[in-house]
Amino acid sequence: MKINRRRLLSLLGTSPALLAGSVVETEAKTKSVRSGTGSDVKFTAVSPKGTPPAVQLYSMAPRLDTLDGKTIYLVDTGFFGGGLLLQEMQGWFQQNMPMVKTIFRKKAGGWAADDPPLWAEIKAKGNAAIMAIGH
Amino acid sequence: MCTRAFVELSKTTAAKRGMPLEPIVFTPHPVWGKTPAELAVMVSGPDPVAGKPIMKEIVDNLTTPLSEAEKKTGIENVSAGPAVYGPDTLDNLQEIFMNNGMTDYMPVIIPTEEKVEAMLKGTSHHPDEVLKKAIQGVGYESAQWGYTVRHAAVNAVMAGCRPEYFPVVLAMASVGELGLFGSTTSASSAILINGPIRDKLSMNYGIGALSPFAQSNATIGRVWTLMSKNLSSGGIPGDTYQGSQGNNLDYNNLVIAEDEKNSPWTPFHVQMGFKPEENVVSFFLGWDIRQGHGAKGAGAIVNPMFDEQISDMFRTMAGTSGALVVCDPLVAKRLVEQGYDTKEKLAEWLWKNTMRTAKDYRESSLAYVYTYPLALEGREPYATWYKVPEDTLIPWFPKASNINFVVCGGQTNAFFQVANMNHSRSASIDKWM
Repeated sequence: MKINRRRLLSLLGTSPALLAGSVVETEAKTKSVRSGTGSDVKFTAVSPKGTPPAVQLYSMAPRLDTLDGKTIYLVDTGFFGGGLLLQEMQGWFQQNMPMVKTIFRKKAGGWAADDPPLWAEIKAKGNAAIMAIGH
Repeated sequence: MCTRAFVELSKTTAAKRGMPLEPIVFTPHPVWGKTPAELAVMVSGPDPVAGKPIMKEIVDNLTTPLSEAEKKTGIENVSAGPAVYGPDTLDNLQEIFMNNGMTDYMPVIIPTEEKVEAMLKGTSHHPDEVLKKAIQGVGYESAQWGYTVRHAAVNAVMAGCRPEYFPVVLAMASVGELGLFGSTTSASSAILINGPIRDKLSMNYGIGALSPFAQSNATIGRVWTLMSKNLSSGGIPGDTYQGSQGNNLDYNNLVIAEDEKNSPWTPFHVQMGFKPEENVVSFFLGWDIRQGHGAKGAGAIVNPMFDEQISDMFRTMAGTSGALVVCDPLVAKRLVEQGYDTKEKLAEWLWKNTMRTAKDYRESSLAYVYTYPLALEGREPYATWYKVPEDTLIPWFPKASNINFVVCGGQTNAFFQVANMNHSRSASIDKWM
């Protein structure tokens, strides 16, 4: 017969929580032999944390001496608003720094997807890139 | 460039990917929903974090020579903190765990070595077996950390799991991608258990199936949240967690044990290709679950058409995800009487009969972000959905297989609930015994 432990304990006027506490108490008394007594009982707890990966550091790309005559890619990830923001930025360059060539591109795939062909194009034909995340 | 809402996330993400000094320029938040004129003003204005004009900052970042720190390369090891805490009192350890973001802000069972060893007896697998390797720069933060069987055991102790639940916990940890998804939309998860293990662990799938009435249901859900925080550095607000309002389901997730005996349909895991006697955990990811009370026709005294009620509920959901319909056995039996003797038949009817115009679909923000890029790649049905005339009716969900069903409940009333969640994967529990 399967016994409903919780109902049995309640009929006895005992809470499962009290029994859980008494288990800890027993454990604590055992521990107390090693590390303290009564309310000073101390325990050592294992960390629940996983292992973060080591980080490979990358040097930043060398900076340009000037933007005049250079090509800057403006990359839209596809998330809300980033594309429109970059288009206004392209307008700003046209008005304020007309010697800078800007190329607007929407990254392929979803906003988190990689786009190796675009990166290759930027490396081959561009001098810098600005990527807008949007939101 | 990021908006100011993501200062911490953008900087820590760049650091974790090996570029701690990557130049990042911030704009006011949000940029979404702004007109071109408003964005033009924004571009000409200041970075709200650095205080400098945005465009000057960009030009400076592209033209200022690198410092020695910016040229640094090599490997940097990262610590997750101490391997143990204490010796200290139980009360102080509770405070330490909570203050270090390792709990769900409810008291945990402090994981002493003895308790962890007891939990490890719930599996035949070695404590040092790697469940997931630590890999830099792969996908989201949650995909990058590594952990072992022992790490999972520590979290299972904290959640209040019994050792006999541990194979379920390991199956959950083994899928390699944990919960507390960091989306600003405040996502959440559901966990479905199938197979004989439900009864072995005294899981509740009767009255109050989704409520706190069984230790197994409660703690299996809770450990998913704790593992999501601890095994993968998930759930750090402002960093790895960006849910604007958060989601109450995150406390112990939506744990469902399917009532296979009282269901007139095939159990979910069998639909997924497992044998009936196999024990399986399945994951669903989405946002929320809602009662069928709000459906048109709900509460009808005579001849309640549950198929139409479920369809009505779908119209409040994000079609870029899926639907998990949780039916009381009384509802399932009524649906069979209506002619849906399989879950697949009902899914097919719902998919074909829950429609909206292509215009409504295209104007959905989630469609633009998640499926428009797929349409541009020529992937169906999205490619067609973005080409047809805007008054064309298209299904709410992409495929009938995005609509799933599970049966549980105490048969005290013929009710159903619908989660806006899509099935992501299923994993064997048996291999972790």
